[in-house]
Amino acid sequence: MIVDIPNRSTAWLPAAMAVLAAAALTGLPFLTLAPNRLVPGVPVGTGLAGAVAGALAVGSAVLLAGTARPWRGLAALAAALIAWGLLLAGLGHGAAGLLAGQKPAARAALGSGGWLALLALAGLAGEAARAVLPRRGGLAAALLLLGLSIIIAGAGLLESLSLAVEYRARAGAVAGAIVQHLGLASASLLIALVVSVPLALLRLRDGPAARLVDGLVSGIQVVPALALFAALVAGLSGLLALVPALRSLGLSAIGPVPAVIGTAAYLCLPLVSGLAAGLAAADPDVLAAARAIGLTPREVLLRVRLPLGAPVLIGSVRVAAVQSVGLATLGGLVGAGGLGALVFEGMAQFAQDLILLGALPVIGLALVADAGLALLAGTGERPA
Amino acid sequence: MTRNRMTRALVPLVVAACLAGLSLPEVAGLVVRVLGLQAGMPVPAGRLAWLARQHLALALAGFFLAGGAGLALGILATRAAGASLRATLDTLAAAAQAAPPVVIVALALPVLGFGAPPILLALAAYGLMPVMRGTVGALATVPEEVRRAAIGMGLTPTQILVRVELPLAAGPILDALRVVLVLAVATAAIGALAGAQTLGTPIVVGLQTQNTLALIQGAAAAAALAFLTDAAWLAAAAGVSRLVRRSS
Repeated sequence: MIVDIPNRSTAWLPAAMAVLAAAALTGLPFLTLAPNRLVPGVPVGTGLAGAVAGALAVGSAVLLAGTARPWRGLAALAAALIAWGLLLAGLGHGAAGLLAGQKPAARAALGSGGWLALLALAGLAGEAARAVLPRRGGLAAALLLLGLSIIIAGAGLLESLSLAVEYRARAGAVAGAIVQHLGLASASLLIALVVSVPLALLRLRDGPAARLVDGLVSGIQVVPALALFAALVAGLSGLLALVPALRSLGLSAIGPVPAVIGTAAYLCLPLVSGLAAGLAAADPDVLAAARAIGLTPREVLLRVRLPLGAPVLIGSVRVAAVQSVGLATLGGLVGAGGLGALVFEGMAQFAQDLILLGALPVIGLALVADAGLALLAGTGERPA
Repeated sequence: MTRNRMTRALVPLVVAACLAGLSLPEVAGLVVRVLGLQAGMPVPAGRLAWLARQHLALALAGFFLAGGAGLALGILATRAAGASLRATLDTLAAAAQAAPPVVIVALALPVLGFGAPPILLALAAYGLMPVMRGTVGALATVPEEVRRAAIGMGLTPTQILVRVELPLAAGPILDALRVVLVLAVATAAIGALAGAQTLGTPIVVGLQTQNTLALIQGAAAAAALAFLTDAAWLAAAAGVSRLVRRSS
């Protein structure tokens, strides 16, 4: 999805974010304290750091609402960043205070108010950065927020938060799962691309074959992902029972094979329609001119259609890449590992922190894939 | 043209019927034996039908929640702020893509508990944006001259919306709603992970206990239900657009 954002259309957004942050800090639990990692905690109210962060958020929105002067945008960005840092440090400090004198199994976790305020402040920083840098503001804000968080975490201020405690117990597993997840997602994307390119070329020529391709790739979208993954497991185990020799090739009914095939199947629709639209994007007059100067169909494809359709082509790969990261999560159900395995283990244990350890990197990887391909395309803005 | 639209519903209907047949314990058991797989306990047809009803009820509740709210907010957005909101909606919709439904269900589980609420939240969060964006985009395609002509004829704003804008924008809006319906059926299947009793339940149990028979039955039944709702939607959409064409 390539989206250009006009600056003025979102004038109400900073104010909404600031109000959300202030409301979350005053009305919702800031932190929660629980006797262990499985029991839901008791809410704890906002401290001084939270109050200052809320005030800074409102200040930042007021600065953004005024006339568009460069110093106002910079000051708003600084206020939003300081508010984010203060809130994060306040949450960490508050958690350490709550845990003092408790049993070792006790956990202090971020409450709904803490989460919402962090999200709203991140959005506010994104808006402020966009006021300073209209093109790459969202990306700059994300990098600044990430850097600030790393500095605060590096100073050891977040160590008492439940999520950090859970991470310390599972650091190796999380790193392994991220690598596995990236492997699953990129293998699916690669296979889907290999399948989609000839299908898209087929669709360029209108006819029964094109309609069949259309029907097939959009028909797959109707099948629930869980059902498709299950059908692949059943189908692969049937295939292996009929032809046991395939087992020696490393094929197995449970594991990465069904996850990669299933994920790739869903990526075919955005890729085929995006690739076909990209290749058809060239003006008919341009194509006629290319043929008139004696280019062969192959040259027309490579030297005219491909460069002219490049933005649409990269856009469809961007959509497919984001979807592949999300869909690979279901691989955890069919034994493929990845971040989905952590999420489902957490769901089975009802352990919020374990779910978050799996889910947050999924969202992060999807946003990174989106931003990376947007940079590559050279157009569009990263959604903040 | 209308007959052509009606026949579009025929293919998913046939696929749904075949898959529903495959989900019956006798047929699925035969397939499992032919493939030479270990058969576990079959899911009785009556239980499957009950799960299908639960699945459909949950999916429709999510669909009406997300679709209705998305449609209403989309119409409201075009009344108040005009098409300038489209870019913001596009950005938010793209950002929502980053968190797949299964992740939203997982995140909502500790807060909302087991059962329907986390699934409905995931559906609302994931389905709202496409409908809202589709509605705003579709209403923006209505030519300004047509709107001015309607004002000139003395129609009230409500009449313009109901008799001019919505009929002209019906196609893309119906397409956006179809996406959400398909999504609702798929997300209800994932809801089995959050403890809801749907057609995803035999799949999850089958995966956990290596019961290939229940796995095939659940997968076939869930896919059959998805194709059935899609066929029903295509038929209903064809009917709606015929009505619109006749009245205009």
